[in-house]
Amino acid sequence: MSVSGVRLGRAPAVHERVLDNGLKVLLVENRTIPSVSIHASVFAGSRHERKEKAGLAIMASRLLDEGTTRRTSLEIAEAIESVGGAIDTDGSYERTMLSSSVLTKDVGLAIDLAADILINPQFPEDAIAKEQERTIAEIASAMDRPQVVAGWAFNKLIYGRHPLGRPTHGYRETVAAITRDDLVEFHDRHFAPNNALLSIVGDVTIDEIWPDIQRHFSSWKPKTIPTARHARPVRQKDKREKRIVMPAEQVNIYLGHLGIERGNPDYYALQTLDTILGSGAGFTARIPQRLRDEMGLAYTTFAGITMTAGLEPGKFIAFIGTSPENTALAIEGLLGEVRRIVKEPVTADELKDAQDYLTGSFVFAFESSSQIARFLTHAEVYGLGFDFIEKYPEYINKVTIDDVARVARKYLDYENYSLVVVGPDVASVVS
Amino acid sequence: MSSAISSSTFATEGVRRTVLDNGLVVLTKEMRSSPIVTTMVWYRVGSRNEEAGQTGKSHFLEHMLFKGTERFKKGQIDLLTLKNGGGNNAFTSHDFTAYYFSFASDRWQVALDIEADRMVNCVFDPLEFEAEKKVVIEELKTGLDNPWGILMQELDAAAYKLHPYRNPVVGWLADVESATTGEQQAYYRKYYQPNNAVLALAGDFDSDEAVAAAARRFSRIPAGPEPVSKILQEPPQRGERRLAVRWRSKVPRIAIAYHAPAIADSDSYALQVLAVILSEGKASRLYQRMVERERSVTFVNADYGESKDSTLFHIRAEARGAHTREEVETAIFDELERIAAGEVTLREVDRAKRQIEAHYILSRERTLDQAMLLGQMETLGGLDYIETYLDRIGSLTVEDVARVCGAYLQEDNRTVAYLVPDGAAGDDENNEAGPFEEDEE
Repeated sequence: MSVSGVRLGRAPAVHERVLDNGLKVLLVENRTIPSVSIHASVFAGSRHERKEKAGLAIMASRLLDEGTTRRTSLEIAEAIESVGGAIDTDGSYERTMLSSSVLTKDVGLAIDLAADILINPQFPEDAIAKEQERTIAEIASAMDRPQVVAGWAFNKLIYGRHPLGRPTHGYRETVAAITRDDLVEFHDRHFAPNNALLSIVGDVTIDEIWPDIQRHFSSWKPKTIPTARHARPVRQKDKREKRIVMPAEQVNIYLGHLGIERGNPDYYALQTLDTILGSGAGFTARIPQRLRDEMGLAYTTFAGITMTAGLEPGKFIAFIGTSPENTALAIEGLLGEVRRIVKEPVTADELKDAQDYLTGSFVFAFESSSQIARFLTHAEVYGLGFDFIEKYPEYINKVTIDDVARVARKYLDYENYSLVVVGPDVASVVS
Repeated sequence: MSSAISSSTFATEGVRRTVLDNGLVVLTKEMRSSPIVTTMVWYRVGSRNEEAGQTGKSHFLEHMLFKGTERFKKGQIDLLTLKNGGGNNAFTSHDFTAYYFSFASDRWQVALDIEADRMVNCVFDPLEFEAEKKVVIEELKTGLDNPWGILMQELDAAAYKLHPYRNPVVGWLADVESATTGEQQAYYRKYYQPNNAVLALAGDFDSDEAVAAAARRFSRIPAGPEPVSKILQEPPQRGERRLAVRWRSKVPRIAIAYHAPAIADSDSYALQVLAVILSEGKASRLYQRMVERERSVTFVNADYGESKDSTLFHIRAEARGAHTREEVETAIFDELERIAAGEVTLREVDRAKRQIEAHYILSRERTLDQAMLLGQMETLGGLDYIETYLDRIGSLTVEDVARVCGAYLQEDNRTVAYLVPDGAAGDDENNEAGPFEEDEE
């Protein structure tokens, strides 16, 4: 078997074609194993839903494969599972995703099913009722977990009424209020070839699969796509706190504020900062080193601003889960490290180590076909360029100590922040 | 069933197995498509080797192996990983403890330096030990804040009376609290030996050179006495066991455990197919019945994994809406009885076989996946197991699946655990994360 296509550290050869209806298809050949990974995205997510219908986008994504004009839900499941493949659909704040992994011989089937699911979903009433009940039950289930509850409260403090302040799966009331008309309308408005992307990576060539793509996707009609309309979130200029009492072994603490967009030119300087402050290899970053390794306060503690950066601003997050008696110490520990990186320059060694780590380890995100397919989507959505793999080391190595100091001052704030504490009654120990 | 791949040896194709004079097994698998090498060391020690009152030792030891040696001081292992742009981690299970590094292939051998050194030279500084004990206790508590963490812990402790699989891998809190450096060090000396370990390497290297590089570091470590553990035998279960577990949630969650055979037992293959038929994918039995038709659960999951000693076949589900745990139980038991009575189709069995076969291929792309598979299988039962695995799965019949279902997933062999609310009060309904608030500013 000849090994062709993907070589890490070098940009993959991306074959790009566009159907007449505007559907863009990206393909990278990867001959290492006899399989194909398909990632389809439609650029419609919870950022496009009204607050009264929070949860609509996720629900639509989950119902895509629950019956189409051509197949029942069970027929779809049996078709893909009987060849040992899988098709999953999911929604997020920005996108609706369909992902499928199949053996090479079954790629035609996967394309057929993907097209049917994206273009022809029926949203049957009984499936909607089922999904509503299930989502509401899942919300109740998730509320048993202090870290989840803390995360929701944190988003709400930071974003307020902005759609990013809501849980993507919605609330009990809004999920219950979703109707078939809402789902059909959401699909009609946003699902179109000119608002979608197909990324395919694996043991096939573009010429081999192009006839299948034409056959199954050409009937999809393009349309004018409405844009999401809401104000840009604003970073807080005050201190906000929320405590939620919940019987638990640990308190879960989130501390932070509004972050940055993926397209921010300071992204790479901030990623370097993240590595030094809270997200490096093992426990090398300052926060885990100090709070976990030295003080023994936590098993999980980290911080970062770039991990949630998207089309809209993400969050600066500092997290720790610790025993209730450590609450005050943990909060002070997190704040102390944020204060230190804002006030004092990082050392030359810290910078160099962070750069070596980022430029060395980022290739691990491009090992499998599925990872490469996801990269193609990100490259397209965030305008990274397909040569990102080659450019990335330059972006990181350009960062200086002064850059880190500047972005720390500009994007981190140890006085005006949101703080969420969820756990046993700790009011008495939080100053 | 026709096979999509030429033979079942995909996973072991090109794998070389070398045994050094000191007993260290070295497995190498060349994967030239990515300039990455994953280095894993597997020790044949886990919670099954721990005696009563000493639980959690294997896992605690895993934490201590990052605390340094004379050569690689505290923090150095992570720092070297950082500087070399790599990744590292470790995990402990019932049967083994494993460590891994992934590095670019031009510098991967730093992992060999670290692993060879910490196999025998780990320092047990009492201050570091006490600091890390706090971290381990926080990890244990994180698990207790997860409803499934607590339920599965209690279930397994009830399903086994004696065998150490009854203990959580992280250990019981009192045991972790009372752990001492002296005992921990003795445990390390006993089990961390080249003759009790497997080195699994996968990635962009030449096998001859990789084996030589490993031999250079590890050969100087002498073999130790074969570690002997006193592992209590589990007596046969004589009837159903049930337990209610009090916890803060009102969500009905149920978990069932059936005693089932160890890896490579002739019945283990059919049980794996059965687990897939029950809950893998939307066409599966329990999904179709409980999620789709009866709408009684948010999810249902059957799980049966490879294990050194006789293990448990688990089924878990979370009830939804007004549905009760009793309804959930009834549906599961009814479905199992049907299968045992022969109500399982060739189509279901073939679908499950294809799912297993495809999974085998689709989940082995990365160097870490390969090193993981090879190391785990060598540690548990030897590579022969994977050589013949897909053929064994492929030759199963509908009757085999029905038979194992009747033989193992039956009333007298099961333990049923469920959560019951303990009445502890939180903000619960009133917490702002939950309800939608129309007019919040």
